[in-house]
Amino acid sequence: MSRNGTAKVIFQPSGRRGEVEKGINIIEASRRIGVDIETLCGEKKVCGKCKVRIEEGSFEKFGIVSSRDHVGPWQEEEGNFITPDQKEAGYRLACAAEIMDDLLVFVPEESRAGKQVVSKAARDIEINRNPAVKIYTVTIIPPSFKDPLGDFERMMQALEKEYGLKGLNIDLFTLRDFPNIVRKGEWTVTAAVWMDKEIIKVWPGEVEDYYGIAIDVGTTTVAAYFCNMRTMEVIDTVSMMNPQCKYGEDVMARITYHMQNPGGLERMSNDLIEGLNELIKQACDGTHPAKKKKKDETGKVVKGEDGQPVMVEAPEEGKVYPRLEPSDIVDLTLGGNTAMHHILLKLDPRYVGLAPFPPVIHRSLDIRARDLGININKSSNVFVMPNEAGFVGADNVCVLVTERPHTSDELQLIIDIGTNGELVLGNRDKLISSSCATGPALEGAQLAFGMRAAPGAIERIKIDPKTHDVDYKVIGREAWLKYSKPEDMKTKGICGSGILDVLAELYRSGVVTKSGRFSKTQKSNRFRNNPDNPRQKEFVIAWANETSIGKDVVITQKDVRQIQLAKGALYTGCKLMMRRMGIDKVDTIKIAGAFGTHVAKDKALIMGLFPDCDLENVMSVGNAAGDGARIVLLDRNMRDEANWIARNVEYIELTVEKDFEQQFMESMQIPHMKDEFPHLKGYVPEEILHQK
Amino acid sequence: MGKEELREELLKKLHEGVVEFEEDQVREAAQKVLDEGLNAYDAVMNGLAAGMQEVGDLYDQHEYFVPELLMAADALYVGLDILRPHITLEDLGNKPKGQVVIGTVQGDVHDIGKNIIKMMFEVAGFTVHDLGRDVPLEKFVEEQLNTDSEIVALSAMMTTTMMGMEKVIKMIKEKNPNVAIMLGGAPVTSDTAELFGADGYAESAGNAVQEAIKMIGRLREMQEK
Repeated sequence: MSRNGTAKVIFQPSGRRGEVEKGINIIEASRRIGVDIETLCGEKKVCGKCKVRIEEGSFEKFGIVSSRDHVGPWQEEEGNFITPDQKEAGYRLACAAEIMDDLLVFVPEESRAGKQVVSKAARDIEINRNPAVKIYTVTIIPPSFKDPLGDFERMMQALEKEYGLKGLNIDLFTLRDFPNIVRKGEWTVTAAVWMDKEIIKVWPGEVEDYYGIAIDVGTTTVAAYFCNMRTMEVIDTVSMMNPQCKYGEDVMARITYHMQNPGGLERMSNDLIEGLNELIKQACDGTHPAKKKKKDETGKVVKGEDGQPVMVEAPEEGKVYPRLEPSDIVDLTLGGNTAMHHILLKLDPRYVGLAPFPPVIHRSLDIRARDLGININKSSNVFVMPNEAGFVGADNVCVLVTERPHTSDELQLIIDIGTNGELVLGNRDKLISSSCATGPALEGAQLAFGMRAAPGAIERIKIDPKTHDVDYKVIGREAWLKYSKPEDMKTKGICGSGILDVLAELYRSGVVTKSGRFSKTQKSNRFRNNPDNPRQKEFVIAWANETSIGKDVVITQKDVRQIQLAKGALYTGCKLMMRRMGIDKVDTIKIAGAFGTHVAKDKALIMGLFPDCDLENVMSVGNAAGDGARIVLLDRNMRDEANWIARNVEYIELTVEKDFEQQFMESMQIPHMKDEFPHLKGYVPEEILHQK
Repeated sequence: MGKEELREELLKKLHEGVVEFEEDQVREAAQKVLDEGLNAYDAVMNGLAAGMQEVGDLYDQHEYFVPELLMAADALYVGLDILRPHITLEDLGNKPKGQVVIGTVQGDVHDIGKNIIKMMFEVAGFTVHDLGRDVPLEKFVEEQLNTDSEIVALSAMMTTTMMGMEKVIKMIKEKNPNVAIMLGGAPVTSDTAELFGADGYAESAGNAVQEAIKMIGRLREMQEK
């Protein structure tokens, strides 16, 4: 409950929160709390850009009850932009809605001023083409009085004769459309066959290109790879925030939400399915030409009968538009961590959250898309990747399907960094996996000025060892601070990749010692006690005049501790696994995860994210989880391999390993309390590297 | 050097030795306390424990972190091992401060936090019954009844296992409403503690002990009434 006069406001999906006085509007609150909502008209209720949704219900995680009654009354102007359906769903204009009490406000992607930079782009990977869904074009002899055989049997005869396909089933929904399709195609049809077993779609005439979609359901971000199944090319990559973020930022919080709220599992699953359907729609829309407002000869916007501008297609010259609809998607593969997997399928995730963390099921599943409520071709199946363990899920199997350490002689250490860190170590002889609770600190959450990767986020930092002065670069601006006017930086906070840089640079320049404590010998006025909390030490990264939030962006002693905990957990995991395997060094380190793409590997080694290794052999493999989902979409043999991997990688629970506590403690120091880092020679001054 | 001066100097060495994790310095000073016939109990409480209190303070300010805390603990135990056998019953005239049953709840295998709290209790003179980690809920109830401890301290590092705390609290309070229950761990907040019906909440190692002492004080008042 809030004190009189103030209300707690939490913005989703950023998770930013704060307390503001009652009576101000949501836009004003968003500014104070540091959330960017688009306002083109300057809060005059005429642009309609600032649509937000007021969430309804009790959110224990935040300790608030949010309700549509907690904002001021509906204003007439809002009706110009918000449809009755949206109004029903709780949408308001942020500039019109006054805050009366505690609120959980969802800011939809289109209303966010700084669009998130999601780096889940598809990589070039070698895939052997052998999809689960294949298409066959046949010409069928039309029935006659002499030969009145049924349509289906007629097609089967042709399929057997031309392709040797026998004994196929057909899904009822496809069969219902079939008699009209075959005639529309004038007895030439193309049939999509799933796993050489079942006909799941029939097109009239000859079809060459057909489409599938591979989806990686992350705890925070969901990414979909829209593929042409004939050419294997990725025609589009689309992503969104996981709509479940409002129920909790991490896996445990989601599981807890289910445990505490009747119907919670249903709700989270439905939200995700709805999100997936939107994402699929979005991917399909991208295959149509963009639309623009129709204008008459004088350049005036033409309005229709409803008073809204008439929209017309504006195709780019020379570009081919496949014009696809969700029903054109014939195959879909899904990967995600075990909790996301369970919640999506409405399998009780509670036991995944309790030691010894068993999943409900390991092996992969083929589920009719319609049973899950996923809007693609009605008869199609969704392939759900298998799980390795409670905390090493289908997403990790995806990574392994891509990197295939089980076929290599080299000893590989694969680190997948997300909200939860997953580690795999080994080669063709043996593979072990484990998970470590890195927490969201490495992604920027929980830090005083942490933020997602969006314009204004600091992503690279340098600290001068002589003066302790700071130079940095923000997302959305090429020039570093040194080459910019302060007011042009428009800095807002620090994102994941900036966070590794911060710790590495603070250490390398001697601002913090090996223990992570701010050094007593500071060379600039950036080090200070927090003005509001004198017991808290902090270091100023960006002065207020360089920011768009009017406050100094700092890294506090507590922030440093959070990062140390996260990196310590990861390092301990690597080390204990190496000990299990009886080795003291690995041949190759691969960093996966969207995060991996942005990691400067020298900085990662300096801060001690993993044990010493020649930087030449440290590589980023990008979003291998998404690549894996794409591989199984295009190569059905890899589905069997995925199942083999899921059962043949030995899972190790790290926290019960002997002397975990001691190892964890040593790993929290930078780069490590005791381990040597010969490969840091030249990267870190001797006197820093060998400090006591 | 007079006896009082020597005492002051040794207490300072013990105190510093703990704060700076100098095990050798602590060992030497502790030995000298015995050799010079000084009071061992005084050395523990006003040297070692005082040092540990400062460490707890630094930890609360994030100046010290888990590694420093554990290293300080090592130095502390070096001193305790030497001095403890020489503490007489007479010294304990003002009785141990109380007994604590401590453990990480079922389903949870994280116990670093719990171990730190346990150590702070020991330093402060409590008798600690450590049940370890992944402790079945009923075990807390049994152990409390067997030892007649005033305090049960529950730890959970995951939100999922935190939910088990509510049950333990109910079970214990049913059997023995006078037991004080305190909660700690990353997902626990003072709101959760209140919601679950706990008597205290420890945000960090430092305030766990202070909170415990306060709780026992309240219990004694209640019993005296």
